[in-house]
Amino acid sequence: MIAAFKRLKASRGVGKFCRNRLAVAALGIIVLYALVGGWVALGDLLPGRAGITYAQVEQPVWPTPINGFGIPATNERRVEAARIITREVKRAVNNGEGFTDIRYGLLHILPGTADSDTELDRLSTLIEESEDLYDQLSEFDDLNSPEPPMLDDGAPDPDSIDVPSTIARLEGAVRQMFAPLSGWQSLKQSLLHSLGTDRQGRSNFLRVIFSIKVALQVGIVVAIISVLVGTFLGAAAAYFGGWVDHAVVWLYSTLSSMPELILLAVLVYAFSGSVFDKVSNPWLALVPVYAAMCMEFWIGPCRVIRGETLKLKELEYVQAATAIGFGRFYILLKHVIPNTVHLMFINFSLLFIAAIKFEVVLSFLGLGVKVGPSWGRMIQESTQEVINGIFWQIGAATVFMFVLVLAFNIVSDALQDAFDPKHVG
Amino acid sequence: MWSYVARRLLYSIPVYLGIILIMMGALRLRDPVSAYLGKNATAETALLKKASMGLDRPFLPIGIEDPAEPFGIEPIVEVGRVGFYPPLRTQYVEFLWRILRFDFGTAERPYRSWQFESDNVGAKLADAVWPTLKITIPALVLTATIAILVGLLSAAYRGSVLDKTLMVLVVLGMSISVVVFIVLGQVFGSSWLNGKLGFELFASNGYEPGIQNWVKYCALPVIIGVVVGMGYDARFYRAVMVEETSRDYITTAVAKGAPRHKIIFVHMLKNAMIPVITRIMITIPFLITGSIVMEYQFRIPGMGKLLIDAIVNKDFPIIQTFTAVLAGLFILTNILTDVLYALVDPRVRLA
Repeated sequence: MIAAFKRLKASRGVGKFCRNRLAVAALGIIVLYALVGGWVALGDLLPGRAGITYAQVEQPVWPTPINGFGIPATNERRVEAARIITREVKRAVNNGEGFTDIRYGLLHILPGTADSDTELDRLSTLIEESEDLYDQLSEFDDLNSPEPPMLDDGAPDPDSIDVPSTIARLEGAVRQMFAPLSGWQSLKQSLLHSLGTDRQGRSNFLRVIFSIKVALQVGIVVAIISVLVGTFLGAAAAYFGGWVDHAVVWLYSTLSSMPELILLAVLVYAFSGSVFDKVSNPWLALVPVYAAMCMEFWIGPCRVIRGETLKLKELEYVQAATAIGFGRFYILLKHVIPNTVHLMFINFSLLFIAAIKFEVVLSFLGLGVKVGPSWGRMIQESTQEVINGIFWQIGAATVFMFVLVLAFNIVSDALQDAFDPKHVG
Repeated sequence: MWSYVARRLLYSIPVYLGIILIMMGALRLRDPVSAYLGKNATAETALLKKASMGLDRPFLPIGIEDPAEPFGIEPIVEVGRVGFYPPLRTQYVEFLWRILRFDFGTAERPYRSWQFESDNVGAKLADAVWPTLKITIPALVLTATIAILVGLLSAAYRGSVLDKTLMVLVVLGMSISVVVFIVLGQVFGSSWLNGKLGFELFASNGYEPGIQNWVKYCALPVIIGVVVGMGYDARFYRAVMVEETSRDYITTAVAKGAPRHKIIFVHMLKNAMIPVITRIMITIPFLITGSIVMEYQFRIPGMGKLLIDAIVNKDFPIIQTFTAVLAGLFILTNILTDVLYALVDPRVRLA
């Protein structure tokens, strides 16, 4: 295998691929995604120290939905968020509870507050100030387009408060309830808010980054298993011929006579509901999806490699190996399969795209990812938001997925041009 | 030719049996009974329900030692110590026999859906076909026509700005998920557009029968379907056409001074018909499946939505019948495609 890779590296196809600047750039993007995905996956191994854990993703980073790119939310939402936070802090102060639940992203109450009287006094004055400002604001019927109250003679009341500055003061008071953030922390906090939140106030940025791991996980597992299984079965079928060939051809004609999505949906149904639905570990919860996709996707590489092997086995070097007296399995593994490596790569990148796309469709239909976020689930959850004109969640998921799939499309096109130029379509 | 068709049909039999076997077998990996009864069902009601669904009987007529038959619905013929189960009473053979007679429920001999207990499976499927076809046929015709045109233009002016722009658009379109097209198309095509127009041109979901309601309920899914399908088709047709442009007959046509439009639309299109026909023929069975996601999102009571609902509700009879009919159709169109080849292109011989 290693020798085959060395030969591949020196081959003309690789040179041709490397001259395609667009393809190399796309490969760079894929590597970037892989790095981010790998970093996220560290969250499962070293929780709290690196990566992103499932629990972090599900936590709201603000009490009300906010927009991305720092675009301010409506006045009503801002006031509502301040009111919710004030209420929560007040309840904690009055009941003497801990403050651990009050946490929005990196914003949290100063640790040790419950024991320190000065801190509690400081919080109480802030709560009073915030409630007072809130009372002043509640005089207005419509905060989004506030109209100053009228005096008897029809002129605007000169004593009336200025709504925008009052909201700013309210938010300032609320902000002071939390422990101050260092520069690095506040950068991270603004990143969490950078792409807005969903309806439950969960960070779109965090979810979309976490979904990179899910997508890569599905893509890599499915593509590797399918390509290996397909290659082996296809090469074996063509090389051994006879009943092996009949069996493999029967199996793939049978599976490919059913529409992909139907077979996938039925297989996901069949494989789930057992152990895998009960575990909360997102690594295992996807097993039904993997199994269904692998059962469907091995067909593509199997067909291609069966065709290639039919050609290869008539070539002189295979005949020579047979004449020397090598075993048939040895020839298959050592001389036939290594010469289909270029097709394996092309099929890997094609299947990777297919797996990511079908994951999205299956999750959208409620059959795919059930634990934790994925791009498909984000798009599915955003259908309730887009009706109200909120596009942050669907936008984030679409753009992140688009870039990855586009990069893979470019790479697989370039691979095809470089290694398999006669291919049509 | 007829001997070719007969041989192909014969070869298809094991494939068809395999399809039914895999589908039924995969469904039976899980027990659907508890989902229908809820948590408080007793063991006895569960067994009764199972028997009424026919799931108590063995799946395959092989390897049955002593099939449990707690309610004695049909006696088991005992042959010596090994229980011999009549093949027609096993689930697999019984369903095959049903397919062979094309009997998916009549008034006298019902074959009930599990989720809609008063409906026959056949009637359910027949009701769902029409809404699906109202979307898929216009979508297929439009997509194929536009995509062939785009492919032709792109190939004829290969390397030009037009070609590059079209292909960039196509790759961009292919990289966005189908689901996103459907969700955004629904929002912008109905709520947003209706707000701009001031009247309801396209409904955001739902369905009413009648051709006068077509524009309201079906036009928007058709438009989205065309946009989604466009990318893949146009790219494929372009590749086919590019392959044709390098053939000798094109050089001949250019040399004898044929006008360019004639070369493109007469010579090239005619010779590129084979892959085009295959491509269109392959999609015909999928006319019946419909766009599952589209129907799901637009709440159109077509085949796709019926199927997803059946899977979610574990309605085995509908899933099985659906697969059986569709797979049969798929195999038949495949044979028909090969026959059509020979008719369209005299170079192809059926062997």
